[in-house]
Amino acid sequence: MKYFEPTSIDEAVAILAREDDARCVSGGATLVAMMNADLLSPSTLVGLRRVSGIEGITKNQQGLRIGAMTTHATIAKSGLFVAGMNVINRAANQIAHPPIRNMGTIGGSISHADPAADFPTALIAANASIEVSGMDGQRLIPADEFFLGYYETAVAENEFVTAILVPKGPENAVGEHVKVTRVDGDFATVSVSLVLAFNENQCSYARIAVGAVAATPLHLDEADAVLTDSALTDEDIDNAAALLVKASDPIDDVRGSANYRRALIPRLLKRAVSLLKTDA
Amino acid sequence: MSTDKQVITLNINGESIELLLDGGETLLETVREQLGMTGSKRGCNQGVCGACTMLVDGEPVRGCLALSSACSDRSITTIEGIADGLNLSPIQEAMVEHGGLQCGFCTSGMVLTLSAFLAENPKPTREQVRHALSGNLCRCTGYTKIVHAAMHVAEAYSA
Amino acid sequence: MSMPNTAVGHDVPRIDGREKATGAAAFIDDMSLPGMLYGAMVFSDYAHARILSYDTSEALKLPGVKAVITGDDFDAVLGGVFLKDEPPIAMGKVRYLGEPVAAVAATDLKTARLAAQLINIEYEALPNVLSVDEALDPKSTLIHEDLSDYFRLKPSSFEGNILWKASISEGDVDQVWSDCDVIVEGEFQTQAQHHLYMEPCGALAKPEQNGGITIWSSCQSVFIVQQKVADYLQMPMAKVRSLVPHVGGGFGGKGGLHIQTLVAKLAMTCSRPVKMTLTRTEDFEIVRSRHPIRIRMKTGAKNDGTLIAREIDMVLDGGAYADESPAVLNWAVFVARGPYNIPNVRSNGQLVYTNKLRAGPYRGFGNPQVTLAGETQIDEIAQKLDMDGFKLRQLNAVKTNDAWIGGQNIDACGFDACMTGMLEATAGAEAEAAAASTSNKRRGIGYSALTHMCGIQSTSAEVHLRADGSVALVTGVVDIGQGSNTILSQIVADSLAIPVERVSFAAPDTDSSPYNWKTAASRTTYMSGRSVLGAAVNVREQLFTHAGEMLECAEHDLELREGGFVGVKGVADAQLSFAQIAGRAMACVGGPIAGTDTLVFDGPTLDPKRAIVDGFAFTNVGIYTFGMQAVEVEVDTDTGEVKVLRVWSAHDVGRAINPAMVDGQVHGGVVQGLGLALTEEMVWGENGNLINPTLMDYKIPGILDVPDFIQSIIIEAAEPTGPYGAKGMAENSLVGIPAAVSNAIANACGVRLRSLPFTSERVLRALDAAGK
Repeated sequence: MKYFEPTSIDEAVAILAREDDARCVSGGATLVAMMNADLLSPSTLVGLRRVSGIEGITKNQQGLRIGAMTTHATIAKSGLFVAGMNVINRAANQIAHPPIRNMGTIGGSISHADPAADFPTALIAANASIEVSGMDGQRLIPADEFFLGYYETAVAENEFVTAILVPKGPENAVGEHVKVTRVDGDFATVSVSLVLAFNENQCSYARIAVGAVAATPLHLDEADAVLTDSALTDEDIDNAAALLVKASDPIDDVRGSANYRRALIPRLLKRAVSLLKTDA
Repeated sequence: MSTDKQVITLNINGESIELLLDGGETLLETVREQLGMTGSKRGCNQGVCGACTMLVDGEPVRGCLALSSACSDRSITTIEGIADGLNLSPIQEAMVEHGGLQCGFCTSGMVLTLSAFLAENPKPTREQVRHALSGNLCRCTGYTKIVHAAMHVAEAYSA
Repeated sequence: MSMPNTAVGHDVPRIDGREKATGAAAFIDDMSLPGMLYGAMVFSDYAHARILSYDTSEALKLPGVKAVITGDDFDAVLGGVFLKDEPPIAMGKVRYLGEPVAAVAATDLKTARLAAQLINIEYEALPNVLSVDEALDPKSTLIHEDLSDYFRLKPSSFEGNILWKASISEGDVDQVWSDCDVIVEGEFQTQAQHHLYMEPCGALAKPEQNGGITIWSSCQSVFIVQQKVADYLQMPMAKVRSLVPHVGGGFGGKGGLHIQTLVAKLAMTCSRPVKMTLTRTEDFEIVRSRHPIRIRMKTGAKNDGTLIAREIDMVLDGGAYADESPAVLNWAVFVARGPYNIPNVRSNGQLVYTNKLRAGPYRGFGNPQVTLAGETQIDEIAQKLDMDGFKLRQLNAVKTNDAWIGGQNIDACGFDACMTGMLEATAGAEAEAAAASTSNKRRGIGYSALTHMCGIQSTSAEVHLRADGSVALVTGVVDIGQGSNTILSQIVADSLAIPVERVSFAAPDTDSSPYNWKTAASRTTYMSGRSVLGAAVNVREQLFTHAGEMLECAEHDLELREGGFVGVKGVADAQLSFAQIAGRAMACVGGPIAGTDTLVFDGPTLDPKRAIVDGFAFTNVGIYTFGMQAVEVEVDTDTGEVKVLRVWSAHDVGRAINPAMVDGQVHGGVVQGLGLALTEEMVWGENGNLINPTLMDYKIPGILDVPDFIQSIIIEAAEPTGPYGAKGMAENSLVGIPAAVSNAIANACGVRLRSLPFTSERVLRALDAAGK
């Protein structure tokens, strides 16, 4: 297996274009695990650790730019995630365990597009966009359009994720990420990422994404609309959840049955709301 | 196949070692198979069990998921680099004294995780120790005595 | 004669601790030999099929491949303990998906694995029998067509895919149901649990010039490996040498063979050493699991709480081969009465074949499963009678000198002391749990009593006195992590009044160790402890004989003195060191001093006048241990998630030779029991494929899944025959946990679960069904 360590985005893209069956590797937490399980055997690996400009979290006018090579641990510990963007570091903090968080990167995680992973829903709840780079330069893909199916993304051949752009939510917005897992650190049976803002006791802004209930994270504008401008009563939450349940298409697997997953949607949404009400 | 191999210099336990590596080779394979350092264990090869935990630039990582080629110019510590000859490190000593190990297969990973954690958190709470160990599986001890061992080291530091 | 920090009763740190803490301890995959090859296997793609042909030509052409073996390369020998039904590798048929059908040795692992993929095997598919109901159906395809021809160690009934039936009855259960004021009845289902020792199985074999073979493997007994490999390869045991490096846990899973025979055969085929280590997935797919058991149980009591009847019917899913399942069936049937004096009991069990991985011994040996049923019903009866569960248990508890079912006498019973200890430890806990409950976070406490045994099979030991007064302890005991090397060394040190550092422990080796059956059945401290003590006492007697002659005094005037001396009582100056005595023995009189001891468990067997017994695979067991466990849970009634907050575990260990290690056994067993109770389950798909053979998909508890609060309560009701009064302490800490968790969930939120594991999904379903 060949291994390259380009130092720029352009160089990385050129290698991807030149080599057959090349895969980018950032932390290795997902890709190497798949190679070890014989699920994947690329002929070339493109190590991204020396590529400049794709690591770290920077603040800008609109919000934050998270370099694709930023580790889960760095995101989890960062204090920059304010105004609802904290749904992302709440999610980062719940990915697997400390050693995996030390290795794994946000770019690697979302490129794998496991619907039970924690970042995909968080990025959708935060209304983030994903920057991918290729031969023709860079393009931005809204998180809502990034995940196309089980382990499938909108990243084209010879492109790779270089950053995640997170817009600031409403000034007083807060985010939360909750999940049911079989054991600590497991992939979610179901997860909910939620960003809310309050005006007195009314909800003034809501964005919900549900994970592991379909091939891609589930987000419905209609469900957000039910909560927005509501008092977030149990009935409001149930109504929003009912829309999400209806749109969900969960599977049966060792983590839980489709029925259980559907049952968890309203319950986790309630849990997330109640945690945020306590925070607010 | 061999044309894909590259010469890489790794710094393992303070020693620079030049190696011919395939790009897909993991740190665990390198230390166990090329260097004969078998203290790091292969429990699952999927990054779940933590028996292969090593420190890269002082932070615990999975040896089975880390590509060796991506570790040149980084400082790698394995279990073989923890004791000083016959003098065990405080956490090794405590694991032996306080029943923190039984079969011993997860022990290297536990020792490395705790070494890194205690270096940064010399006075932890039990709950903090538990969180630090959340990525290391043990099937023998029920974990409690591993936490005891860490707390004994912490108390000795602060005494 | 107590020796501070070394003697029996002290927390001596394990003698192999330093090498484990430094990574220096070698496990099987850490070993290598000059010229060593690597092995890989081909696994069956079918759960049930006839093997039509093998094509190994492509594999053999691959550079670096040195040997390929299939069923055609072995004599048609069937192995097994109680029923000989298992070939060394699939022959003629495959009976579970993943069953090894061919193996390869090559110069490196990648080549070996690649070659395995090049082997082409043609199958003719047969109908799968995957569930217990299918297996019980007389119309189902037979998994073993020749069942009636198989060698059977003990007589038992069998038919179709039912390979063994066992039962015991006492009293007349049919006559007393009408006398019962309260009866509870229920069906319980348990799951396949994987042992999940952290170290996957592996073996290394080296062919010898005398035509023999030396095998190192991760195992629980070098002698069982030797005997079984010799049998499969049709070689005398003198030509099969079996050794063991450090073992990374076993829990029953490494009690029989795994790949030792195949590795030995590969090595002999290519005349080079061969090593093979299973990947975690292979280990899941081909070793063994805990038995899933379907249990129907009915228990009846009088209004005053007296238990008068219990009837049990169970079916064990044994998977594709018998392995030790007849014994597990036997023990489950035997122990299902529980530690209560119930005069009328009938316990029936059937063991079936299915086209799945063999089930085998696993910590508790069928007992956790039946204890789940039994202790659930104790709580249910207590609830119906509006009686405290403790009171009900105490009222019916067996006591010292009561008879076990079948009539064996209970010589030392610490059961009541366990319950008393538990009551004290958990005083106020139920009130605390109730007070801390909220509308959707319900807390509750659940209890389970338990019993187990530790006297079984045979063992032997030697203690040799060395020139400087050190002693060498030689037994065939394999320390699989539980600490027997230390415990047994402590016994020798204590009985000779020397520090543990002066005792060397010889690694088991069939060429030089005295026989020991295996590390299983919680028997090592009790059984090997007895023989090690016997050998040490034998040395002590010889020391005294020499010393009496050297000091010219009667032996009864001599005493052992700390540090390795024999002295004259009351005369401080008159003493000899062990070295002086050893010198005399080695150079002048009598020859080197060596003590030996050998024993077989020969307790009384079942009394045919008292009980009707049928199909028992082994009847000579005994030395009962008792315990009481309690678990506090918090159930999230929104999601069904169960969090375990506290665990208390009281055990009658006879005598704690090393209290810290007893504590370690308790904590470890409790946590493994929590995995069994809450998360662990091997799941097979409709083709008989194991769906979750990875640690990603099969979940054992991590540190944050289990409580930091696990309290051991050690009860010491000395066993008259035990070394220093000790009984076994290993399996019992797991046995009551699923039942205690079940009772805790019922206590917390009023729902009763009867299928393991109690996943959040099952809990939520039960809550929904109950309208809670």
